[in-house]
Amino acid sequence: MSFVDVFTKFQTILELNNKVLELMAEMGDKLGGDYIFDKQYIHSSCEAMTDCVYKLIYNLDSIAPQKYLDLYNAFKRIHAEIQDELEGKLVIPETDYTMPYRLVSRDFSDVVGAKNANLAEIKNFLRIRTPDGFAITTTAFQAYMDHNQLWEKIHSVSQEWAKGEISTTEASKRIQELIKNGSIPVKLKRELRKSLEDLQSLHSGKRLFLAIRSSAWGEDSEHTFAGQFLSLLNEPAQNLFEAYKSILASAYSASAMEYRRQKGYAEHEVVMAVACQVMVEPLVSGVLYTLDPQNPQQEIMMVSSTWGLGAPIVSGEVSADQFMVSRDSPHEVKGMTIVRKLRQSVTLEEGGIGPRPVPEELQTKASLKHEQLAELAELGLMIERYFKRPQDIEFAFDHNGDLYILQARPLNIGAQTAKLVCDVPSALKKAHILFSGRGSIAQKGIGIGKVFMVKDEEDLERFPEGAILVARNTSPRFAKVIRRANAVITDVGSPTGHMATIAREFRVPTIVNTGIATKILKPGQEITVDAEENAVYEGKIKELCYYEFNEEPFEETYEYRLLRRILKKISPLNLLDPLDKTFKPRYCRTFHDITRFIHEKAVEEIIELSYYGGRDTQSSPLHLDMSIPLDLVLIDMGQGLDTTPESVKVRVEDIRSIPMAAFVQGLTSPGAWSTEPMSVDFGSFMSSLTRTFSSSLATPKYIGQNLAVLSLNYANISLRLGYHFNMVDAYISDNINDNYAYFRFLGGVTDLSRRSRRARLIGEILSVNDFRVDLRGDLVVARVKKLGLEEMKNKLRVIGLLVAFTRQLDVQMVSDRQIPKFLDTFRQLAVNNVTKH
Amino acid sequence: MDTQNKTSILVLDDEPIVCKRLRSALEKRGYEVETFFRSADAFKRITERDFDIVITDLKMEGLDGMAFLTEVKKRSPSTEVIVITGFATMETAKESFQKGVFDFLAKPFKLGEIQDAVERAERKIRESRA
Repeated sequence: MSFVDVFTKFQTILELNNKVLELMAEMGDKLGGDYIFDKQYIHSSCEAMTDCVYKLIYNLDSIAPQKYLDLYNAFKRIHAEIQDELEGKLVIPETDYTMPYRLVSRDFSDVVGAKNANLAEIKNFLRIRTPDGFAITTTAFQAYMDHNQLWEKIHSVSQEWAKGEISTTEASKRIQELIKNGSIPVKLKRELRKSLEDLQSLHSGKRLFLAIRSSAWGEDSEHTFAGQFLSLLNEPAQNLFEAYKSILASAYSASAMEYRRQKGYAEHEVVMAVACQVMVEPLVSGVLYTLDPQNPQQEIMMVSSTWGLGAPIVSGEVSADQFMVSRDSPHEVKGMTIVRKLRQSVTLEEGGIGPRPVPEELQTKASLKHEQLAELAELGLMIERYFKRPQDIEFAFDHNGDLYILQARPLNIGAQTAKLVCDVPSALKKAHILFSGRGSIAQKGIGIGKVFMVKDEEDLERFPEGAILVARNTSPRFAKVIRRANAVITDVGSPTGHMATIAREFRVPTIVNTGIATKILKPGQEITVDAEENAVYEGKIKELCYYEFNEEPFEETYEYRLLRRILKKISPLNLLDPLDKTFKPRYCRTFHDITRFIHEKAVEEIIELSYYGGRDTQSSPLHLDMSIPLDLVLIDMGQGLDTTPESVKVRVEDIRSIPMAAFVQGLTSPGAWSTEPMSVDFGSFMSSLTRTFSSSLATPKYIGQNLAVLSLNYANISLRLGYHFNMVDAYISDNINDNYAYFRFLGGVTDLSRRSRRARLIGEILSVNDFRVDLRGDLVVARVKKLGLEEMKNKLRVIGLLVAFTRQLDVQMVSDRQIPKFLDTFRQLAVNNVTKH
Repeated sequence: MDTQNKTSILVLDDEPIVCKRLRSALEKRGYEVETFFRSADAFKRITERDFDIVITDLKMEGLDGMAFLTEVKKRSPSTEVIVITGFATMETAKESFQKGVFDFLAKPFKLGEIQDAVERAERKIRESRA
């Protein structure tokens, strides 16, 4: 194949690559809630995506014939998974049978169920005390069902039920029987025993009693299956196997079956995960509603509590003490009703629970003190803010007075009640609009709070809980505070940029690109951000918030869940490091992985072909003449250079490639390129040598070669400087949506601690400059996308400057304490060189 | 707009998600909304009463959207029709406008876009009645 043909194919690959990234961003964007989309949209965009990825593979195969045939297999596998999702077959990610809570997050809610996921998020993200435990995943459920051939058996009973041949009660009884009579697969038994041992080791010396609860799909969402599944309290650990089966069976309780039928849940959506928690022995327990469902406008939290276990309150068996607590700090008690509590439910020594009389002196005593109520209210609001809904929370104080959150789920506010109090149109008529219709919504929702301006890193450190984050630019570094923010507003930014993705991850209402937010809003000013209608109001507009509380969250609709699940097979990037041994087609888990792999390999092919393939074309490699001692070879794919076929050297001013020109400007900035001779101690040098030869740095031919592949809008630059390896891949044009820059740094020389120190510094510099940064040991991967032309050029200058700068770091940086000093030096360099162009 | 005389909107789309989300977005703005995901039901409903605004999908099972909007315009020429479709082509757009459709939105669309279209339709209705 001729160079021209290869370049044409390469251009096609680039275009397809951009198209895939764009499609991915568009689909991700739909998760923000500002769009109305339907199943048909999901189908057609998956089709478009599949088509592009297939063409990518085909094009790579034509420039590197037969080399990456495994890509077809990866494609087939991922494509089939997506098809299964689209056809409504539930695809459960392969996970272990059990997961300890410390590893669980909302991303795993598909495999651990909402109850486990919520509780684990509360534990791991909010750091609130919850019982230790583990989840028995839906993978375990599938294994149990498959092992006992239960799907087929259940299906035939369901058929009879659907036809009306048997009653719901009869169908339920028969199915539950089938499930309970199954046997637990050996591997599952082994994992369950292991998880119990781990749990036991956290509580050594005590006999382990468990609360074993259902954590089903759809449970705890707006479709609350509350009370329809089984919970077993204070079960001795050795009963786990039998308890597990009973809980699985309760997925087919008559009421759950009816409920699913009414709500249109498909049969394949019946999936049961189970929660196993260490039993808390409570002195007092109860339920907290963070809002009064009957009178949501009253700003009151409702608490019911009683001595001992809370189960009787939840099931409504006993009357309990009632407290009304203000939602505003310091959470004054507005009213209480104390009942005579004659009996309490307690944990029994041999396991299980049972009734006991309440000692006389406690019978008429309030079961909670003011300070306990305030502590509870505080936590309740924190959880509400995190989950964006009023919460229904089960809690317990143990005999040491420690507060445990046992369960949290969204509270359903009666729709009718809420509608009466939510006269949104007239509330809005009275409200003062600060601005509206500016910019784009990145994540739908309502946020009320005080404005907090973020200009630099220190502001981020000081960011207060529940404030509105207002900033000039969007930045992925907001990730560390975004979950504490009630909303985010920026002057500049794209709804499909990195920060928007993060905002969606945490469901924080976000409006970007308003142009004026930092000018109009004042620090400390209380505002209401309506990221549904795209408006910002002065003061608190509670009506909006209540309306949002009352509305069914779009995140819980079938289409949203489907799109989110499908995107998990498309968007996550697992193949970060091309030098890693897992950078292979068969490790591609998503379409993004495939796309990324192809892009990397296509560049490699181009370099190989043009640099080593001969000099018979107009695009033969040329050396760049620079003011710094660096031998850089340029390969022009078209319009990247202003040279004639006779040229042997390229001057800096001949570079037409937009990203390349900016990069070189940064690279050659005065003061950046250290001229000091590099002294390297012998040990470091040896370690770098072994490293060089052991790592598969592309092919050995590349060692020592600095190469750039260019076109007018594109540059791919591989540099081996000193003892580290840099890769830049960037596309910059007038079309903001196509723009991206990708930078990878891999260190060499010196010991690992020095290398990772340097990587941390580089990561820090890049994230201060608003790159999205991934750090893995001494590998730094930084990405930025969708900025305007000038802003993108600035980013490339920063990269250029940084590449030059890192030369100094190799040897000089010997301690962590130097990080601030180098950060400062770099900042100064950037001020002098980056923005004034 | 006073509560006695709310602008009435009928939504017809065979995907319930569209009905569900349009209902909540429009009700919040104070409109009176009825949604249908079976065209036969919607068809029956327009024989019973007129709506100020009709929002309809084009491609659905059973009666197709074009036939539905033709019927709407025939019965109540002052009703403004907004077409929403996932298969937007020049031809369908042209045909819709020839039939007197007020606006034409390609799915997926932003909430703001449909609200904006509804507001403009409402303004037109108010002006023509003034």
